Amino acid sequence: MIYLVVAYVVAVLILGGFLWLSLGTLRELSARASGQK
Amino acid sequence: MTRYTRLVAAAVLLMLVAGALIFFYAPEDFLQKEPQRIFYLHVSAAIAAFACFAVVLGASIAYLRTESLRADRLARAAALVGVVLTTVTLVMGMLYAKPIWGKFWTWDARLTSTLVLWIIYAGYLLLRRLAEPGRQAARFAAVVGIFGFVDVPIVYFSVTWWRTQHPGPVIISDALPPQMLFVFLVTMACTLFLAAVMVAIRYQIETLTDEVPSPVVQLVGTQREPEPAR
Repeated sequence: MIYLVVAYVVAVLILGGFLWLSLGTLRELSARASGQK
Repeated sequence: MTRYTRLVAAAVLLMLVAGALIFFYAPEDFLQKEPQRIFYLHVSAAIAAFACFAVVLGASIAYLRTESLRADRLARAAALVGVVLTTVTLVMGMLYAKPIWGKFWTWDARLTSTLVLWIIYAGYLLLRRLAEPGRQAARFAAVVGIFGFVDVPIVYFSVTWWRTQHPGPVIISDALPPQMLFVFLVTMACTLFLAAVMVAIRYQIETLTDEVPSPVVQLVGTQREPEPAR
């Protein structure tokens, strides 16, 4: 049971972390792009 | 709420539905018990990674033929998402192996070829990061993106070509009972949607990175040379 829980927690951390960082980067770049216009 | 935030919210919602099916609807496996539930996301992540690397292949061929910047950006975006999904596959596979095989890792053909796949595309990303941006780097990366895909069929067929500890294909051999197959197909569809959303976000990031110079570059007043218009 412990391996099942750890496996899904790790998957959520990797995928969730990647999405969170990507959205943050996108937001920052969009703000910089609109500031340039 | 931007278009991308909405897409991410939809993808997260779908993954929660898949998670609910995995934990509360899918029946427990008679032999492997609870750890068998790792299978659903482990295999779905692998298939989504293969799809991403197929996109890298297609976009790399398109870049070499047309030198389209869009194709190059798509290849970069899909390669990164593919590496992330391969990481999920490998980590979940190791945590699946421990209770079933008694060890996290064994150097059998499926595991080794998957690790090689991860190294190939991590190398591709490293190349993109370290090389001076421009036509030469993009062309070289496209070649790596095309030849790197050779490992995908090797990973897939490794369980039939060689004797491996990793089990053979269970989906195409009708080895799953209908309830498990249903949960697997839903999880795979949700993971593919999530992968598509991640590629779309990374593609937009690559576009903005190409168009907007970084603050450091602006500070010293030497902007990166733009690609020639095609």
